[in-house]
Amino acid sequence: MFSRNLFAAIMSMTIFSMICALVFLLLDGVDVSLTEAAVGAGISTILFLSSLKHMDFIIKKNTKPFLFSLVLFLVLTASLSYIISDLPKFGEAKASTDSYVTDYYLKNTDQEIGIPNVVTSVLASYRGFDTLGEVVVIFIAGISVIGILRKEYKEQ
Amino acid sequence: MKDYIILRIITKLTIPLILLFGLYVQFHGDYSAGGGFQAGVILASGFILYNIIFGIDVGKAVLSQRMSKILMGIGVLLFVGVGIMGIILGGNFLEYNSFSFDSTSGQMIGIFLIEIGVGLTVGNVMILVFYAFNNEES
Repeated sequence: MFSRNLFAAIMSMTIFSMICALVFLLLDGVDVSLTEAAVGAGISTILFLSSLKHMDFIIKKNTKPFLFSLVLFLVLTASLSYIISDLPKFGEAKASTDSYVTDYYLKNTDQEIGIPNVVTSVLASYRGFDTLGEVVVIFIAGISVIGILRKEYKEQ
Repeated sequence: MKDYIILRIITKLTIPLILLFGLYVQFHGDYSAGGGFQAGVILASGFILYNIIFGIDVGKAVLSQRMSKILMGIGVLLFVGVGIMGIILGGNFLEYNSFSFDSTSGQMIGIFLIEIGVGLTVGNVMILVFYAFNNEES
């Protein structure tokens, strides 16, 4: 991510996404892993690369704010590492993600929804309104991108 | 890029597989990993690959920008429509229990329909963003 070459930065981000997808897969989050592989490593690379055509490749060499960003980076890393100790341990029984809601979904999906994939049943039925919000957000984002780039298209 | 024979042949071989995998993820999301969101992105990336290799003009003959915009809107409207159908049939917003003779098959129909809505919207937004970035080259 520290590269001045934007192409190298995009490619390293793709590799990072792919590794993330593998980590999710190892943690048994198959749905999240599929999403990360498709969106993070697949389509965002294409969209970044197509936006790269519109901008100048060369970023002016400017070493002045380097010290400031280094300090900012170290402070952020230190504070985030401090917070890590407050997180629940991996696989702990009393973690907040294992509260009664998860239990309810796992037990009742079979009778109430009737489909084997609990992730889909939570996504589409128990939390359908959240998914509606997500779809509307994507819709609005698409409209905004088309609107921003429309003028450029019309002039030519 | 259609002058490169290796790219052209490999693309022709892989695009049906990508689209088939996308449809599988879409319609088999109830039973295995996946769903509308992932399927929309996979189908869109297959279509974008076609656009990159054979040119935007050929791609626009298959799915024009106007058609893509209409399909994007239809996806959201399908989702909201299913929600309102729940109210009309005597439940809450986005409650699918009353869609069929018993609650589980009603849920299955509801989930199937909204996954199609999500897939349509996500896939067409991705295609439209790709078109928007590549409009000036012919």
